[in-house]
Amino acid sequence: MMRYAIRHVTRFDYAETVDFARCNLRLQPIDWPGQRVEDYTLNVTPGGRTAPARAQAGLAHVTRLVLDRPTRELTIESVAHMTVERPIPIPAADDPTIAAVGALARASRDLSPLSPAAYLYASPRIPVNEDIGAWCAPDLSSERGVLDAAIELARRIQREFDFDPTATLVDTPPAEAFAKKGGVCQDFAQIMLCGLRAAGIPAAYASGYLRTLPPPGEPRLVGADATHAWVLVWAGEARGWVGVDPTNGIWMAEDHVIVAIGRDYGDIAPIDGIVLGSGAQDMHVSVDVAPQD
Amino acid sequence: MATRTASLFDAGVIADRWIADYGAERTRGDAMVDAADPHGWRVMFEELAASAGESLTDARERAQRQADDIGTGFRVAGDSDERPWPLSPIPLMLESAEWAGIRRGVIQRADLLETIVADLYGPGRLVAQGLLPAAVVTGSPYFLRPMQGLVPPGGHHLNIVAVDLCRGPTGEWRVIADHVRGPVGAGYALENRLAIARTLGGLQARLNVERHAPFFASLREGLCAACERAEPRLGLLTPGRLNQSYAEQAHLARYLGFLLVEGADLAVIEDRLYVRTIAGLKRVDGLWRRTDPTLLDPLAFDSTSTIGIPGLIDAMAAGNVVVANAPGAAVVEAPAFSAFLPALSARLTGEGLHLPNIATWWCGQPAEAAQVVDELPSMIVAPAFGAPTRALPDGQPVVGAELSNAQRAALLADLEARPQDYVGQEVVHLSTLPVVVEGALVPRPFTLRVFAARDGAGAWRVLPGGFARIGEHADPRITAIGEGEWSADVIVHGPVAVEPVSLLPAVDSLHLRRNPGTLPSRAADNLFWLGRYLERGEALLGLIRVLLGHSISADAGAALDRATVARIADALVQVGAAPPLAGHRRAELVGMARTAMESVENGWYSVRAINRQARGLGAVSRDRLSADMIRLLDAPHPTRGGVLDRAGSLQRRYAALAGLSAEHMGRTDGWRFHDLGRRIERALKTVRAILSFGIEASSADDLSVLLDLADSQISYRQRYLTGIARIAVLDLVALDPGNPRALAFQVARIAEHLAALPVLKDDGLAEPQQRVAAELSAMVATADAGTLGAEALLAIEARLMTLAEAVARRYFLQGAEPLRAAGLTLA
Repeated sequence: MMRYAIRHVTRFDYAETVDFARCNLRLQPIDWPGQRVEDYTLNVTPGGRTAPARAQAGLAHVTRLVLDRPTRELTIESVAHMTVERPIPIPAADDPTIAAVGALARASRDLSPLSPAAYLYASPRIPVNEDIGAWCAPDLSSERGVLDAAIELARRIQREFDFDPTATLVDTPPAEAFAKKGGVCQDFAQIMLCGLRAAGIPAAYASGYLRTLPPPGEPRLVGADATHAWVLVWAGEARGWVGVDPTNGIWMAEDHVIVAIGRDYGDIAPIDGIVLGSGAQDMHVSVDVAPQD
Repeated sequence: MATRTASLFDAGVIADRWIADYGAERTRGDAMVDAADPHGWRVMFEELAASAGESLTDARERAQRQADDIGTGFRVAGDSDERPWPLSPIPLMLESAEWAGIRRGVIQRADLLETIVADLYGPGRLVAQGLLPAAVVTGSPYFLRPMQGLVPPGGHHLNIVAVDLCRGPTGEWRVIADHVRGPVGAGYALENRLAIARTLGGLQARLNVERHAPFFASLREGLCAACERAEPRLGLLTPGRLNQSYAEQAHLARYLGFLLVEGADLAVIEDRLYVRTIAGLKRVDGLWRRTDPTLLDPLAFDSTSTIGIPGLIDAMAAGNVVVANAPGAAVVEAPAFSAFLPALSARLTGEGLHLPNIATWWCGQPAEAAQVVDELPSMIVAPAFGAPTRALPDGQPVVGAELSNAQRAALLADLEARPQDYVGQEVVHLSTLPVVVEGALVPRPFTLRVFAARDGAGAWRVLPGGFARIGEHADPRITAIGEGEWSADVIVHGPVAVEPVSLLPAVDSLHLRRNPGTLPSRAADNLFWLGRYLERGEALLGLIRVLLGHSISADAGAALDRATVARIADALVQVGAAPPLAGHRRAELVGMARTAMESVENGWYSVRAINRQARGLGAVSRDRLSADMIRLLDAPHPTRGGVLDRAGSLQRRYAALAGLSAEHMGRTDGWRFHDLGRRIERALKTVRAILSFGIEASSADDLSVLLDLADSQISYRQRYLTGIARIAVLDLVALDPGNPRALAFQVARIAEHLAALPVLKDDGLAEPQQRVAAELSAMVATADAGTLGAEALLAIEARLMTLAEAVARRYFLQGAEPLRAAGLTLA
């Protein structure tokens, strides 16, 4: 079991005064099999009003931030204490096949955001893409066990794509990252989701944090961590949702902390909304995932 | 075959001949040939012949002219010009007995769709009980999870629906598609009816034609009744003028008395919706939404939407605003849904569908998928949710038999992996109706769009008639809207006399008013700039005309003084209309004039370029301008004759537009903004003209040009018999408040408008724009023609610009741009 203290600070500096902001904050991690939020604090400076948002598209705690006071600076600090106890999944011979999970999802009687039926289709930011589907297909033959197939695909993405923060931006569509054969966690997650869905496998976008280990002999750098994105694959009723991280070619385990789950980034964006102002904005993010003893 | 012995002008004989010559294929079904009682068709053709004579081509052109007059425009996506949607002169005639069946079926269907939508976003029993797979819901891009648990104010998810019907070979009507997202076409139905009523004037009386007006009145009542306040303010929310049905939306808004608004015109504050108007924020109670539902509220749905209203869904959830139809309702539009409607109808209402769907199989179910695969050659395979799928050529529906071997193999493979993306549907054969092609009646397949809306009591009313779409192809699913398509009016008639409809309410319930109510800031802005551009274009045209020596002054002679010509050329260069004059030969003058008048290359700010801007503003002000004004604004740039002829033609157009705005626009706030724009621009241009031609070293030619530019030659000659004197010209052009072209006259009108327009506070203090106008009035009133110099004129010019800015700041939308707040770094 791991215990974490997570601090995620986002600061916006505006060139001109803004006097109106309406934002959705999806920063409070959800409870999920294998992880529990022990306590949580959200601090917004300057003040403003925060309240739980009425509705949401994915699995997330959404807080609505309303700011009506003129300001040049906005700081959002999210602090969570979590416990994570999540064994590494081991693919088994009797795992449901890809064909089987597709058929189960199509017949699902669950319309909630937990339902595999909610993640069967292309989504606004992950449209149908034949090239990605074809590239992923060799790992995803219909009679293969779904977990075995998923980890193979994740590993192939990790092998064949370059980790390159300069290649893409948060709005880069999967097709572009695929063509560049490079990008960051979101790009790899989107490519994998696109390929899994092309094969009829229910697959969701998970956002959250990944504990990073310092190089041997060096101290852990505070604030140098980042938000992370990976994939959840639905593996039938018994196994449920299983996490796979194509950036690192590994299973989701105790180093991963889920904040929110959705069809794609649009459902889980940690901060999005509208700010009325006329100048430029500058953003600084710091994330620290500190293991507790 | 009717004989030709009767007079050719005998409408009955002509009608009989047309009908007899019509060669529809009997096997396929034809709405006219199969009509139980052909009387209606014959009367209609008689009326057509009576109004147009023997030539069907003439009849067709007449109908199209009427439609153009009324202002139907159909914008093909991506095209910046509005293209007219051709109107067939021949309506679809339906007897009331047949219509009653359609109406009953459409009402049943609308109720069924409401029940389903309410369940999906409410208790969710249909999915939980296995009557509807969850994947049929989640596959729709219009399944909007944030709507779950929201009970729409007024109690209904659906207020306005449209259903596309086709008529089969044996005359049976069936449903091809449901439209709840943005049921396009009610406005076209209205316009088509107006156009057809003008060409077939006698039909109404002879055939007991059911009217459209009561439907629109009840639609309005229905939306009002859903709102919380007794006298609600309603808006039609448009995505903007680039949307392909903007013209229809503008027409509907005007017809229904709704504000035509875009997202940026609206704001949600404390869970209430407001429109930004020239008199401040005004509460809005209901919206007929024509924007895509996913773009409606960036805080609830697509956060990248720039045309949405942040917080709208919260306002809806708080019960403060009615949105028709509720976002998310369009989930039932998916073709996959049709597969489940027959069973859902039986289960939920205890009876089958009165109007059956075309048979549909959703491939997400194993047995259905197997059937589609077995019967592939005779089926249409289509995307189950309208969205593109991997294995259909161009993502379009296709008949199985038309697939190549490779295409079929690809489809079968994808049907293995993602069967949920496909439906199989039976192939339909559409009945035809007669249209005019090359002067003869020819059968063409058609579909019928029928509209239903809730009335004040929440019950469905069906528009008697609707909108027939006529295509070249037998199956409507295989054609895109637009190319090769016509529309036709649909006339429901019967044996029972239709009560003369009076839209006049009872006297005691009528609240008299003399202005059309709130003027949104955006509309004011557009009308203001329309005025400015029209004056700007006219002023530029004036310079071009004097350059070419179009003066009525005999003193000016055949050619102007070289120095004066140089000043005119400088003025043209100053406004960016043309490059500097290369020489003073006639050809060079004409060349410069041509550039200034019609060049749209190299960024020259020509008359044509200005007119384009005016045209764009006219397009967004459709709901506040007369059809005549729109037509003049839309008229193409003249191409006949030489430069002077074209200039003359444009001059007449400007004069007509000025006349229309002066004599045909109601004295509303909207008119005030339009006139304010004109006055400010004309004042600026007059000051410029005086600075160029009326200050130092002004020759007789200079002063004559100034009189021409200020359109004051005749006024001058009436006052002064002695020839041209600078002080006298200056007084007439700048300071004479009785000369409608003079600066002083413009300033007086500006002050009047600003005094009449609403102010925000009731403290009695002048607002900034009023203060600037008062300063201007004082500057002009105290000026003296003898001492009026460049310095004073430049000060007046600067004040005019300050005034324009103050007006914009006070009344128009401007300033803050929405930024997207997005906070994320990824690793």
